[in-house]
Amino acid sequence: MSEDFNENKTIQAQSSETISGGETGVAPDIDYVRPAELSDQDLYHGHTFITKWVFCQDAKVIGVQYFLLATFTGIIGLILSWLMRLQLGFPGAAGFMTAEHYYQFVTMHGMIMVVYFLTALFLGGFGNYLIPLMTGARDMVFPYVNMVSFWMFFVAVGVLLASFFVPGGPTGSGWTLYPPQAILEGTPGSGMGIILMCVSLILFVAGFTMGGLNYLITILQARTRGMTLMRMPLTVWGIFTATVLAMLAFPALLVSALMMTLDKVLATSFFMPTILKAGEVLEYGGGTPILFQHLFWFFGHPEVYIVALPAFGIVSDLISVHSRKNIFGYRMMVWAIVVIGALSFFVWAHHMYVSGMHPWFGFFFATTTLIIAVPTAMKVYNWILTLWRGNIRMNTVMLWCLGFIVTFVNGGITGIFLGNVTVDVPLSDTYFVVAHFHMVMGIAPLMVIMGAVYHWFPLVAGRMLSEKLGKWHFWITFLGAYSIYFPMHYLGFIGVPRRYFEMYDSPYITSAVGMNEFISTAAFIVGAAQFILIYNIVVSLKMGKPAGKNPWQANSLEWLTPSVPPEHGNWGDKLPVVYRWPYDFSVPGAKEDFIPQTTPPSEVVETEVEKT
Amino acid sequence: MSSDPKIEGYKFKPGYSGMAADTASDQTMFKGVHWGKAMMWIFLLSDTFIFSCFLISYMKGRASTPVEWPNPSEVFALNAFGVPVPLLLIAIMTFVLITSSGTMALAVKYGYERNRKMCGWLIIATALGGLTFVGMQVFEWSKLIHEGVRPWENPFGAAQFGSFFFMITGFHGTHVSIGVIFLFIYAYKTFAGHYDEGKRGWFTTMKGDYVEIEILGLYWHFVDLVWVFIFAFFYLW
Amino acid sequence: MDEIKKEQTTTHKIGIYLWIWGLLFVLSFFSYMVDWYQFQGLLRWSLILFFMFLKAGLIMAFFMHLYWERYALVNVLLWPMTAIACFVGLMVAEGKYTLFSRLFYFFVGGG
Ligand code: HEM
Ligand SMILES: [Cu+2]
Repeated sequence: MSEDFNENKTIQAQSSETISGGETGVAPDIDYVRPAELSDQDLYHGHTFITKWVFCQDAKVIGVQYFLLATFTGIIGLILSWLMRLQLGFPGAAGFMTAEHYYQFVTMHGMIMVVYFLTALFLGGFGNYLIPLMTGARDMVFPYVNMVSFWMFFVAVGVLLASFFVPGGPTGSGWTLYPPQAILEGTPGSGMGIILMCVSLILFVAGFTMGGLNYLITILQARTRGMTLMRMPLTVWGIFTATVLAMLAFPALLVSALMMTLDKVLATSFFMPTILKAGEVLEYGGGTPILFQHLFWFFGHPEVYIVALPAFGIVSDLISVHSRKNIFGYRMMVWAIVVIGALSFFVWAHHMYVSGMHPWFGFFFATTTLIIAVPTAMKVYNWILTLWRGNIRMNTVMLWCLGFIVTFVNGGITGIFLGNVTVDVPLSDTYFVVAHFHMVMGIAPLMVIMGAVYHWFPLVAGRMLSEKLGKWHFWITFLGAYSIYFPMHYLGFIGVPRRYFEMYDSPYITSAVGMNEFISTAAFIVGAAQFILIYNIVVSLKMGKPAGKNPWQANSLEWLTPSVPPEHGNWGDKLPVVYRWPYDFSVPGAKEDFIPQTTPPSEVVETEVEKT
Repeated sequence: MSSDPKIEGYKFKPGYSGMAADTASDQTMFKGVHWGKAMMWIFLLSDTFIFSCFLISYMKGRASTPVEWPNPSEVFALNAFGVPVPLLLIAIMTFVLITSSGTMALAVKYGYERNRKMCGWLIIATALGGLTFVGMQVFEWSKLIHEGVRPWENPFGAAQFGSFFFMITGFHGTHVSIGVIFLFIYAYKTFAGHYDEGKRGWFTTMKGDYVEIEILGLYWHFVDLVWVFIFAFFYLW
Repeated sequence: MDEIKKEQTTTHKIGIYLWIWGLLFVLSFFSYMVDWYQFQGLLRWSLILFFMFLKAGLIMAFFMHLYWERYALVNVLLWPMTAIACFVGLMVAEGKYTLFSRLFYFFVGGG
């Protein structure tokens, strides 16, 4: 077994060469970096197909596994949304669709997209791939645990999808799973469906905890020499803060799922009040349904930022690289991420304005909610100021970033509407809310994911994606998504309620009929357009233009590995040493318009680099 | 406990300026803290949120029921020599758990002094304390079940009493049981000398070190810590 | 200086553990006495909380070594508790409100 490990090697310092050799002739100590605190990490190298590609401990492979599985579930979510839109735009067109089916599809679509697609993709996918590379670590700190994390996720997805095949089908209680209706007869999937949903969520949380601990400790305790927290790319900051939120918010989800399972299986009454059904008192009594809502949203609001923060981070890096400018106000960006993360634990009940909670809570939560808008707006200004007079490359990646800014601003503004109690009360449970959260949490992060795929595909695969297909993909998705969600604001204003199977002949809604047809048509087109990306990926894997090293001329460490795509262990025998932040673009006096993080100060003495 | 080792080229500062310096430095934020230990701490933070959510739910459930809440001091009384003594068993359980926490703390200390025998035996003692605790909990559960307390109902008052009781003590008891299993495993590893020789772990390429005893100890003290809260809120309140 | 600190932290005198151990016993005994003497009302609750936090603090500070850890770790661990504190405070209010509305609408008949 011992030959599987590369024994501890002391890290060869690149800087010490400059110190002793003094080849550059400049005062040597400006390149001084503290020696390594820890000895180099030993890794387990798999030799068989199974240990290399299936039960693999390499964070990069695990990241790709997470990415693929999350995308797979995401496609299921997409198909469910098509079915829903078919019913809404053209009632009765899908012959088999009953109201029960519709509820089940709404529920599974919501839960899949939020938890099993976006969360898993951002943290499990991008987190695993990028954290060790960007912080200059060889791998996650506990690779075995990291591997188990993915397989727990795999099982959780399996359990979730299994609920489609159990008697009664999956749960149809809405992704918020509110009791009492979630577990009462009459709600679709109130038997096995809801139990499997809870079990799957518990598995997901357990699996995620294993991964999340790894991400946090890798970032906090395993950075390479010279890599301070304030020299980390914002991508890492976003994923880091999101993971902290997940570690602290998922417990509430776990507890609520567990208690609901007990209510269902053991007939406890944690969440179940006394219920009269057809004149008969049910066995339940004395519980408080609103407690579930509090627990759920104590998880649920941080959850929306678990999705948003990695997107914020990634988009900052993409914008900076592709407009060849340092990110405007890096420290402000970091603090904004952290402050948003912290505040997100104090705003949850803005989802409960109409729930019948304590009437005074509205004041508290409206205030805290609107305070969050401040750091959020600061971030938007900083993205714009980064673009301002930048040397913008109008490639696919940049298009996705611009698309993100537009959709995010749109969704953020409607968020401020909804944060005010009096405005929210009539808008709650209408399509306005649907429009808000799809803009801000559906489309905006999706734009970032797409941008990130076009940006990092060359790193993972060694080949470029086709720009031409990419532009088609972008414009259809962007215009299409706007056609879907922008009219929904109007639908909300005229009072169309969300989660309704059919509007029947409500006279005030007649203007909505044509609009629904339009929205559904756009939804089919946008959904189909995503297969352009899949086609692009499949074709480019074999026939794409070879990317070579650092095709975007970026500064961050992931592009500076000795071999591209990076191998297990990432850095060959020498760990990189970091001397600067990753945003030294277009520095006055520099030979090229970018200075990688590993370039020592002695090589760029004549330039006006930022001090970081 | 391995805090503040010597780190070449790094000057430790005390207090908040030290915190600022540590945070602003490269490589690590928790200077000298083993990866596993940092990981355990963050895990415990997350676990704290789990137990907090349980206890908050219990508080909310209890505060909002108009039905009489059973008086724990009577429900958990035990007959000793013919007189009912309130909370007798619970008090003993508390003392047992604190005792085991003390032996664990000493095990960590002797571990760092590389006193293998002492460390191993103290871990065994801790594990036995844990087993006793679980055993008494089983006794308590069966007594209550015998008296007609169920997760869904109980003869003394609000139904939620039983629900929360079984759920919260059950979840805590699971933690204790998992801890006991690990204590035995680590006792074996200690006696076998894995930490003296730096033998690699079963699921990691890291070399064994007595810091693992401290990590295990953190978990065990946490279990004790949670019990302090359960004792106060569930039995005394 | 680092050396000295190291000496202090890695091998604490056994006395300190025994002290804390003893204190924990005594405090547990006191909190048990709160029930024994059937103190009621505000006195009971404040005593329970006082002993609880004291015990929890001792366990964390000495058995879990937080007292000797650097502030970077201690602060990371303690600040998140503000979210819990907020949650607790709000749920106290919420619990009272639920009880109030139940009594009001179901028993007094305010509907
Ligand atoms: C400017 C910041 C924001 C404010 C003030 C805000 C406010 C709100 C409010 C008040 C609601 C509740 C509406 C209702 O149900 O009546 C809501 C719903 C929602 N928000 Fe936001 N929001 C903001 C940003 C975000 C972000 C960044 C995300 C996600 C990335 C997000 C995701 C959601 C989701 C998913 C829902 C709907 C949950 C559901 O009921 O199913 N929001 N938002
Ligand atoms: Cu929210």
